[in-house]
Amino acid sequence: MRLKRLAVLFLTLTFFVTAENNITPDKSSATFSVNGKSYTIERVQGDNVYLTNEFSLTSRPSPPFFIQPFKVSDNVETYGELEVIDFLEKERGVFVDARLTSWFQKSNIAGSVNIPFKIFLSDTPQRDKTLKDLGATKNGDSWNFSKVKTILLYCNGAWCGQSPTAIKALMKIGFPEEKMKYYRGGIQSWQLVGLTVNTPNGASK
Amino acid sequence: MKLLITIICLATFLSAGKYDKVKITEELSQVLVYHKGKAVKIHRIQDVKNHLTGSYAKISRPCPDKCIQPISIGNGIETIGEVEVVEFVKNQVNHHKGVLVDARPKNMYAQETIPAAINIPFTISNNNVAIKSIFEILGMTINPDSSWDSSKALDVVVYCNGPWCEKSKTLIDAFLREGYPAKKIFYYRGGFQMWKSLGLTTVKTK
Repeated sequence: MRLKRLAVLFLTLTFFVTAENNITPDKSSATFSVNGKSYTIERVQGDNVYLTNEFSLTSRPSPPFFIQPFKVSDNVETYGELEVIDFLEKERGVFVDARLTSWFQKSNIAGSVNIPFKIFLSDTPQRDKTLKDLGATKNGDSWNFSKVKTILLYCNGAWCGQSPTAIKALMKIGFPEEKMKYYRGGIQSWQLVGLTVNTPNGASK
Repeated sequence: MKLLITIICLATFLSAGKYDKVKITEELSQVLVYHKGKAVKIHRIQDVKNHLTGSYAKISRPCPDKCIQPISIGNGIETIGEVEVVEFVKNQVNHHKGVLVDARPKNMYAQETIPAAINIPFTISNNNVAIKSIFEILGMTINPDSSWDSSKALDVVVYCNGPWCEKSKTLIDAFLREGYPAKKIFYYRGGFQMWKSLGLTTVKTK
Protein backbone atom coordinates (compact mmCIF):
# COMPACT_ATOMS: atom_id res chain seq x y z
CA MET A 1 0.00 0.00 0.00
CA ARG A 2 2.72 2.38 1.07
CA LEU A 3 4.77 1.27 -1.88
CA LYS A 4 1.91 2.01 -4.23
CA ARG A 5 1.50 5.50 -2.80
CA LEU A 6 5.21 6.11 -3.20
CA ALA A 7 5.01 4.94 -6.77
CA VAL A 8 2.16 7.34 -7.49
CA LEU A 9 4.09 10.17 -5.86
CA PHE A 10 7.17 9.31 -7.88
CA LEU A 11 5.20 9.24 -11.14
CA THR A 12 3.59 12.58 -10.36
CA LEU A 13 6.97 14.12 -9.63
CA THR A 14 8.44 12.67 -12.80
CA PHE A 15 5.54 14.14 -14.73
CA PHE A 16 6.15 17.60 -13.35
CA VAL A 17 9.87 17.38 -13.91
CA THR A 18 9.68 16.18 -17.51
CA ALA A 19 6.66 18.18 -18.58
CA GLU A 20 8.22 21.60 -18.10
CA ASN A 21 10.66 23.41 -20.33
CA ASN A 22 11.51 26.17 -17.92
CA ILE A 23 13.87 29.06 -18.47
CA THR A 24 15.83 28.37 -15.27
CA PRO A 25 15.02 25.83 -12.53
CA ASP A 26 12.81 28.30 -10.66
CA LYS A 27 11.50 30.41 -13.50
CA SER A 28 8.98 29.12 -16.04
CA SER A 29 8.21 32.47 -17.63
CA ALA A 30 9.02 36.16 -17.41
CA THR A 31 6.36 38.85 -17.52
CA PHE A 32 7.18 42.54 -17.82
CA SER A 33 5.84 45.64 -19.47
CA VAL A 34 7.39 48.06 -21.94
CA ASN A 35 5.71 51.37 -22.78
CA GLY A 36 2.55 50.24 -21.04
CA LYS A 37 2.27 46.97 -22.92
CA SER A 38 2.61 43.67 -21.13
CA TYR A 39 4.69 40.81 -22.52
CA THR A 40 5.41 37.25 -21.45
CA ILE A 41 8.49 35.29 -22.42
CA GLU A 42 8.66 31.52 -22.06
CA ARG A 43 10.31 28.49 -23.61
CA VAL A 44 8.58 26.35 -26.18
CA GLN A 45 6.84 23.37 -24.56
CA GLY A 46 6.67 19.81 -25.79
CA ASP A 47 9.27 17.18 -26.61
CA ASN A 48 10.13 17.44 -30.24
CA VAL A 49 10.10 20.99 -31.51
CA TYR A 50 12.73 21.82 -34.11
CA LEU A 51 13.88 25.08 -35.64
CA THR A 52 13.03 24.96 -39.33
CA ASN A 53 12.56 28.60 -40.34
CA GLU A 54 15.22 30.77 -42.00
CA PHE A 55 17.10 31.02 -38.71
CA SER A 56 18.14 27.39 -39.10
CA LEU A 57 20.28 28.40 -42.10
CA THR A 58 23.93 27.78 -41.24
CA SER A 59 25.82 29.61 -43.96
CA ARG A 60 25.35 33.22 -44.87
CA PRO A 61 27.47 34.69 -47.67
CA SER A 62 30.51 36.79 -46.74
CA PRO A 63 30.63 39.66 -47.19
CA PRO A 64 28.56 41.02 -45.56
CA PHE A 65 28.12 38.18 -43.07
CA PHE A 66 30.97 37.06 -40.82
CA ILE A 67 30.95 35.43 -37.42
CA GLN A 68 31.18 38.22 -34.89
CA PRO A 69 33.74 38.30 -32.07
CA PHE A 70 32.35 37.61 -28.61
CA LYS A 71 32.88 41.22 -27.57
CA VAL A 72 32.41 44.48 -29.46
CA SER A 73 34.66 46.36 -27.07
CA ASP A 74 36.17 45.75 -23.64
CA ASN A 75 33.63 47.78 -21.73
CA VAL A 76 30.53 46.86 -23.71
CA GLU A 77 29.15 43.88 -21.86
CA THR A 78 27.99 40.90 -23.90
CA TYR A 79 24.68 39.45 -22.73
CA GLY A 80 23.08 36.05 -23.02
CA GLU A 81 19.39 35.21 -22.84
CA LEU A 82 19.11 35.30 -19.03
CA GLU A 83 20.73 38.73 -18.90
CA VAL A 84 18.32 39.99 -21.58
CA ILE A 85 15.36 38.74 -19.56
CA ASP A 86 16.73 40.33 -16.39
CA PHE A 87 17.25 43.64 -18.25
CA LEU A 88 13.60 43.60 -19.34
CA GLU A 89 12.16 42.53 -15.99
CA LYS A 90 14.10 45.14 -14.04
CA GLU A 91 13.43 47.83 -16.66
CA ARG A 92 17.09 48.68 -16.87
CA GLY A 93 16.90 50.50 -20.17
CA VAL A 94 15.84 50.33 -23.78
CA PHE A 95 15.96 47.00 -25.62
CA VAL A 96 16.87 47.84 -29.22
CA ASP A 97 16.27 45.65 -32.25
CA ALA A 98 18.94 47.15 -34.51
CA ARG A 99 17.79 45.36 -37.68
CA LEU A 100 16.10 46.92 -40.65
CA THR A 101 12.37 47.45 -40.17
CA SER A 102 11.39 44.69 -42.62
CA TRP A 103 13.12 42.13 -40.35
CA PHE A 104 11.58 43.57 -37.22
CA GLN A 105 8.12 43.33 -38.71
CA LYS A 106 8.54 39.65 -39.53
CA SER A 107 9.51 38.62 -36.03
CA ASN A 108 11.21 40.16 -33.03
CA ILE A 109 11.93 39.62 -29.36
CA ALA A 110 9.20 40.74 -26.97
CA GLY A 111 9.87 44.12 -25.43
CA SER A 112 12.21 45.39 -28.13
CA VAL A 113 11.85 48.63 -30.04
CA ASN A 114 13.13 48.92 -33.57
CA ILE A 115 15.93 51.42 -34.19
CA PRO A 116 17.60 50.30 -37.43
CA PHE A 117 21.41 50.41 -37.10
CA LYS A 118 21.72 52.75 -40.10
CA ILE A 119 20.21 55.58 -38.08
CA PHE A 120 23.30 55.59 -35.85
CA LEU A 121 25.84 55.65 -38.68
CA SER A 122 25.65 59.23 -39.88
CA ASP A 123 25.04 62.71 -38.56
CA THR A 124 21.41 63.26 -39.48
CA PRO A 125 18.42 64.95 -37.79
CA GLN A 126 16.91 61.48 -37.42
CA ARG A 127 19.93 60.26 -35.45
CA ASP A 128 19.89 63.36 -33.25
CA LYS A 129 16.22 62.90 -32.49
CA THR A 130 16.78 59.22 -31.64
CA LEU A 131 19.65 60.08 -29.29
CA LYS A 132 17.67 62.86 -27.63
CA ASP A 133 14.77 60.45 -27.08
CA LEU A 134 17.27 58.20 -25.30
CA GLY A 135 18.21 61.05 -22.97
CA ALA A 136 21.31 62.54 -24.61
CA THR A 137 21.65 66.29 -25.01
CA LYS A 138 23.47 68.22 -27.70
CA ASN A 139 25.31 71.47 -27.24
CA GLY A 140 26.47 72.83 -30.57
CA ASP A 141 28.38 69.89 -32.00
CA SER A 142 29.14 68.05 -28.80
CA TRP A 143 27.02 65.44 -27.12
CA ASN A 144 26.40 65.02 -23.44
CA PHE A 145 25.54 61.44 -22.54
CA SER A 146 25.52 61.77 -18.75
CA LYS A 147 21.78 61.16 -18.52
CA VAL A 148 21.39 58.76 -21.42
CA LYS A 149 19.49 55.53 -20.90
CA THR A 150 21.27 52.19 -21.05
CA ILE A 151 20.65 50.44 -24.35
CA LEU A 152 20.80 46.72 -25.11
CA LEU A 153 21.18 45.89 -28.80
CA TYR A 154 20.60 42.74 -30.82
CA CYS A 155 20.22 41.72 -34.43
CA ASN A 156 19.85 38.46 -36.37
CA GLY A 157 22.50 36.32 -34.76
CA ALA A 158 26.17 35.74 -34.06
CA TRP A 159 26.78 36.20 -37.81
CA CYS A 160 25.11 39.60 -37.93
CA GLY A 161 27.18 42.79 -37.87
CA GLN A 162 24.37 45.29 -37.54
CA SER A 163 24.28 45.71 -33.76
CA PRO A 164 28.12 45.74 -33.44
CA THR A 165 28.24 48.37 -36.20
CA ALA A 166 25.71 50.52 -34.36
CA ILE A 167 27.63 50.17 -31.08
CA LYS A 168 30.92 51.17 -32.73
CA ALA A 169 29.32 54.19 -34.37
CA LEU A 170 27.89 55.28 -31.01
CA MET A 171 31.27 54.82 -29.31
CA LYS A 172 32.77 57.23 -31.86
CA ILE A 173 30.46 60.04 -30.80
CA GLY A 174 31.09 59.39 -27.11
CA PHE A 175 28.17 57.19 -26.04
CA PRO A 176 29.58 55.56 -22.88
CA GLU A 177 30.51 51.91 -23.40
CA GLU A 178 29.16 51.05 -19.94
CA LYS A 179 25.72 52.13 -21.10
CA MET A 180 25.67 49.79 -24.07
CA LYS A 181 25.05 46.03 -23.88
CA TYR A 182 25.31 43.56 -26.73
CA TYR A 183 23.11 40.48 -27.06
CA ARG A 184 25.35 38.67 -29.53
CA GLY A 185 23.24 35.54 -29.91
CA GLY A 186 20.42 37.66 -31.31
CA ILE A 187 17.10 36.36 -32.51
CA GLN A 188 18.72 33.18 -33.84
CA SER A 189 20.14 32.01 -30.50
CA TRP A 190 16.97 33.19 -28.82
CA GLN A 191 15.01 30.69 -30.91
CA LEU A 192 17.65 27.96 -30.67
CA VAL A 193 17.22 27.82 -26.90
CA GLY A 194 13.46 27.64 -27.44
CA LEU A 195 12.44 31.14 -26.38
CA THR A 196 9.32 32.57 -27.95
CA VAL A 197 9.39 35.39 -30.50
CA ASN A 198 6.76 37.96 -31.41
CA THR A 199 5.25 37.78 -34.87
CA PRO A 200 3.34 40.70 -36.45
CA ASN A 201 -0.12 39.38 -35.52
CA GLY A 202 0.98 39.44 -31.91
CA ALA A 203 0.92 35.67 -31.79
CA SER A 204 4.11 34.08 -30.58
CA LYS A 205 5.67 31.36 -32.60
CA MET B 1 50.38 13.64 -66.63
CA LYS B 2 51.69 13.04 -63.15
CA LEU B 3 53.12 16.54 -63.15
CA LEU B 4 49.79 18.01 -64.22
CA ILE B 5 47.97 16.25 -61.39
CA THR B 6 50.60 17.44 -58.93
CA ILE B 7 50.21 21.01 -60.15
CA ILE B 8 46.42 20.88 -59.92
CA CYS B 9 46.59 19.39 -56.43
CA LEU B 10 49.09 21.99 -55.31
CA ALA B 11 47.06 24.86 -56.79
CA THR B 12 43.89 23.59 -55.13
CA PHE B 13 45.70 23.28 -51.84
CA LEU B 14 47.26 26.74 -52.04
CA SER B 15 44.04 28.49 -53.01
CA ALA B 16 41.90 26.54 -50.55
CA GLY B 17 39.74 28.88 -48.55
CA LYS B 18 40.74 31.96 -50.50
CA TYR B 19 37.61 31.92 -52.57
CA ASP B 20 35.26 30.75 -49.84
CA LYS B 21 31.87 32.30 -50.13
CA VAL B 22 31.09 31.75 -46.47
CA LYS B 23 33.97 32.79 -44.25
CA ILE B 24 34.64 32.63 -40.55
CA THR B 25 35.85 36.23 -40.20
CA GLU B 26 36.88 38.79 -42.79
CA GLU B 27 40.50 37.61 -42.61
CA LEU B 28 39.97 33.95 -41.89
CA SER B 29 38.35 31.26 -44.03
CA GLN B 30 39.89 28.14 -42.61
CA VAL B 31 42.27 26.64 -40.09
CA LEU B 32 44.06 23.33 -40.49
CA VAL B 33 44.17 21.19 -37.36
CA TYR B 34 44.93 17.67 -36.32
CA HIS B 35 42.20 15.48 -34.93
CA LYS B 36 43.41 12.16 -33.55
CA GLY B 37 46.42 12.34 -35.83
CA LYS B 38 44.52 13.22 -38.99
CA ALA B 39 44.61 16.61 -40.72
CA VAL B 40 41.21 18.32 -40.74
CA LYS B 41 40.27 21.68 -42.19
CA ILE B 42 37.97 23.81 -40.03
CA HIS B 43 35.91 26.07 -42.24
CA ARG B 44 32.19 26.65 -42.85
CA ILE B 45 29.66 24.79 -44.96
CA GLN B 46 29.67 26.65 -48.27
CA ASP B 47 26.12 25.82 -49.33
CA VAL B 48 24.12 28.94 -48.45
CA LYS B 49 20.92 26.91 -48.51
CA ASN B 50 22.11 24.47 -45.86
CA HIS B 51 19.87 24.16 -42.81
CA LEU B 52 20.76 22.93 -39.35
CA THR B 53 18.99 19.60 -38.93
CA GLY B 54 19.02 16.71 -36.50
CA SER B 55 19.20 16.80 -32.74
CA TYR B 56 20.98 20.17 -32.59
CA ALA B 57 18.08 21.88 -34.39
CA LYS B 58 15.88 20.80 -31.51
CA ILE B 59 14.66 23.77 -29.50
CA SER B 60 12.45 22.13 -26.86
CA ARG B 61 14.61 21.25 -23.89
CA PRO B 62 13.31 20.23 -20.47
CA CYS B 63 14.35 22.34 -17.51
CA PRO B 64 15.27 21.57 -14.71
CA ASP B 65 17.99 19.62 -16.50
CA LYS B 66 18.60 21.66 -19.65
CA CYS B 67 18.13 25.16 -18.33
CA ILE B 68 19.46 28.25 -20.07
CA GLN B 69 22.89 29.08 -18.66
CA PRO B 70 24.07 32.58 -17.67
CA ILE B 71 26.55 34.27 -20.02
CA SER B 72 29.24 33.96 -17.37
CA ILE B 73 29.98 31.11 -15.00
CA GLY B 74 31.75 33.50 -12.65
CA ASN B 75 34.92 32.83 -10.65
CA GLY B 76 36.94 34.89 -13.10
CA ILE B 77 36.39 32.52 -16.04
CA GLU B 78 36.19 34.33 -19.37
CA THR B 79 33.41 33.40 -21.79
CA ILE B 80 34.32 33.22 -25.49
CA GLY B 81 32.58 32.65 -28.81
CA GLU B 82 33.32 30.85 -32.08
CA VAL B 83 35.84 33.37 -33.43
CA GLU B 84 37.89 33.06 -30.25
CA VAL B 85 37.63 29.25 -30.30
CA VAL B 86 38.94 29.14 -33.89
CA GLU B 87 41.77 31.53 -33.00
CA PHE B 88 42.53 29.47 -29.91
CA VAL B 89 42.83 26.33 -32.00
CA LYS B 90 45.00 28.11 -34.56
CA ASN B 91 47.32 29.89 -32.13
CA GLN B 92 47.30 27.71 -29.03
CA VAL B 93 46.19 24.15 -29.77
CA ASN B 94 48.20 23.93 -33.00
CA HIS B 95 51.31 25.03 -31.08
CA HIS B 96 50.76 22.76 -28.10
CA LYS B 97 49.98 25.71 -25.84
CA GLY B 98 46.33 24.95 -25.29
CA VAL B 99 43.71 22.24 -25.23
CA LEU B 100 40.14 22.33 -26.50
CA VAL B 101 37.99 20.21 -24.17
CA ASP B 102 34.69 18.58 -25.02
CA ALA B 103 33.05 18.03 -21.61
CA ARG B 104 30.22 15.86 -22.94
CA PRO B 105 29.98 12.12 -22.32
CA LYS B 106 32.31 9.83 -24.23
CA ASN B 107 29.66 8.50 -26.62
CA MET B 108 28.63 11.99 -27.74
CA TYR B 109 32.24 12.97 -28.31
CA ALA B 110 32.78 9.80 -30.31
CA GLN B 111 29.73 10.49 -32.45
CA GLU B 112 30.52 14.04 -33.51
CA THR B 113 32.68 16.82 -32.13
CA ILE B 114 34.75 19.92 -32.93
CA PRO B 115 38.00 19.08 -34.75
CA ALA B 116 41.07 19.12 -32.46
CA ALA B 117 38.97 18.66 -29.31
CA ILE B 118 39.87 16.10 -26.70
CA ASN B 119 37.29 14.53 -24.42
CA ILE B 120 37.25 15.07 -20.66
CA PRO B 121 33.73 14.00 -19.69
CA PHE B 122 32.11 16.06 -16.93
CA THR B 123 31.38 12.77 -15.16
CA ILE B 124 34.95 12.75 -13.78
CA SER B 125 34.18 15.89 -11.76
CA ASN B 126 33.93 14.01 -8.47
CA ASN B 127 36.95 11.84 -9.17
CA ASN B 128 39.90 13.72 -7.66
CA VAL B 129 42.37 11.04 -8.69
CA ALA B 130 41.36 11.33 -12.34
CA ILE B 131 41.42 15.12 -12.20
CA LYS B 132 44.92 15.10 -10.74
CA SER B 133 46.26 12.88 -13.48
CA ILE B 134 44.56 15.09 -16.08
CA PHE B 135 46.20 18.15 -14.48
CA GLU B 136 49.61 16.55 -14.96
CA ILE B 137 48.84 15.91 -18.62
CA LEU B 138 47.82 19.56 -18.93
CA GLY B 139 51.20 20.71 -17.65
CA MET B 140 50.56 21.21 -13.96
CA THR B 141 53.48 20.11 -11.80
CA ILE B 142 53.66 19.35 -8.09
CA ASN B 143 55.79 21.51 -5.80
CA PRO B 144 57.92 19.91 -3.03
CA ASP B 145 55.25 21.01 -0.52
CA SER B 146 52.73 19.06 -2.68
CA SER B 147 50.91 22.17 -3.85
CA TRP B 148 50.35 22.71 -7.59
CA ASP B 149 52.72 24.72 -9.75
CA SER B 150 50.55 26.07 -12.55
CA SER B 151 53.16 28.20 -14.28
CA LYS B 152 53.41 25.77 -17.20
CA ALA B 153 49.77 24.73 -17.28
CA LEU B 154 48.11 24.88 -20.69
CA ASP B 155 45.18 27.17 -21.50
CA VAL B 156 41.93 25.22 -21.63
CA VAL B 157 38.72 25.98 -23.52
CA VAL B 158 35.71 23.99 -22.32
CA TYR B 159 32.43 23.42 -24.15
CA CYS B 160 29.45 21.07 -24.07
CA ASN B 161 26.14 20.78 -25.90
CA GLY B 162 24.92 24.34 -26.02
CA PRO B 163 23.83 27.41 -24.05
CA TRP B 164 21.39 25.18 -22.15
CA CYS B 165 24.05 22.70 -21.07
CA GLU B 166 25.55 22.78 -17.59
CA LYS B 167 28.31 20.21 -18.09
CA SER B 168 31.05 22.72 -18.90
CA LYS B 169 30.37 24.49 -15.63
CA THR B 170 30.46 21.20 -13.71
CA LEU B 171 33.86 20.34 -15.16
CA ILE B 172 35.27 23.86 -14.78
CA ASP B 173 34.10 24.02 -11.15
CA ALA B 174 35.94 20.75 -10.48
CA PHE B 175 39.10 22.10 -12.14
CA LEU B 176 38.94 25.23 -9.99
CA ARG B 177 38.25 23.23 -6.82
CA GLU B 178 41.35 21.12 -7.44
CA GLY B 179 43.52 24.17 -8.12
CA TYR B 180 43.63 24.88 -11.86
CA PRO B 181 44.13 28.65 -12.34
CA ALA B 182 40.98 30.50 -13.45
CA LYS B 183 42.85 32.71 -15.87
CA LYS B 184 43.85 29.65 -17.89
CA ILE B 185 40.28 28.40 -18.33
CA PHE B 186 37.83 29.70 -20.94
CA TYR B 187 34.15 28.85 -21.34
CA TYR B 188 32.72 28.43 -24.83
CA ARG B 189 29.07 28.83 -23.85
CA GLY B 190 27.56 28.51 -27.33
CA GLY B 191 28.93 24.98 -27.39
CA PHE B 192 28.32 22.33 -29.99
CA GLN B 193 24.87 23.62 -30.94
CA MET B 194 26.08 27.12 -31.84
CA TRP B 195 29.15 25.67 -33.58
CA LYS B 196 26.87 23.62 -35.81
CA SER B 197 24.34 26.40 -36.26
CA LEU B 198 27.08 28.43 -37.97
CA GLY B 199 27.98 25.57 -40.30
CA LEU B 200 31.44 25.10 -38.82
CA THR B 201 33.26 21.81 -39.52
CA THR B 202 32.68 18.84 -37.25
CA VAL B 203 34.31 15.42 -37.18
CA LYS B 204 32.20 12.30 -37.08
CA THR B 205 33.13 8.74 -36.39
CA LYS B 206 30.99 6.01 -37.76
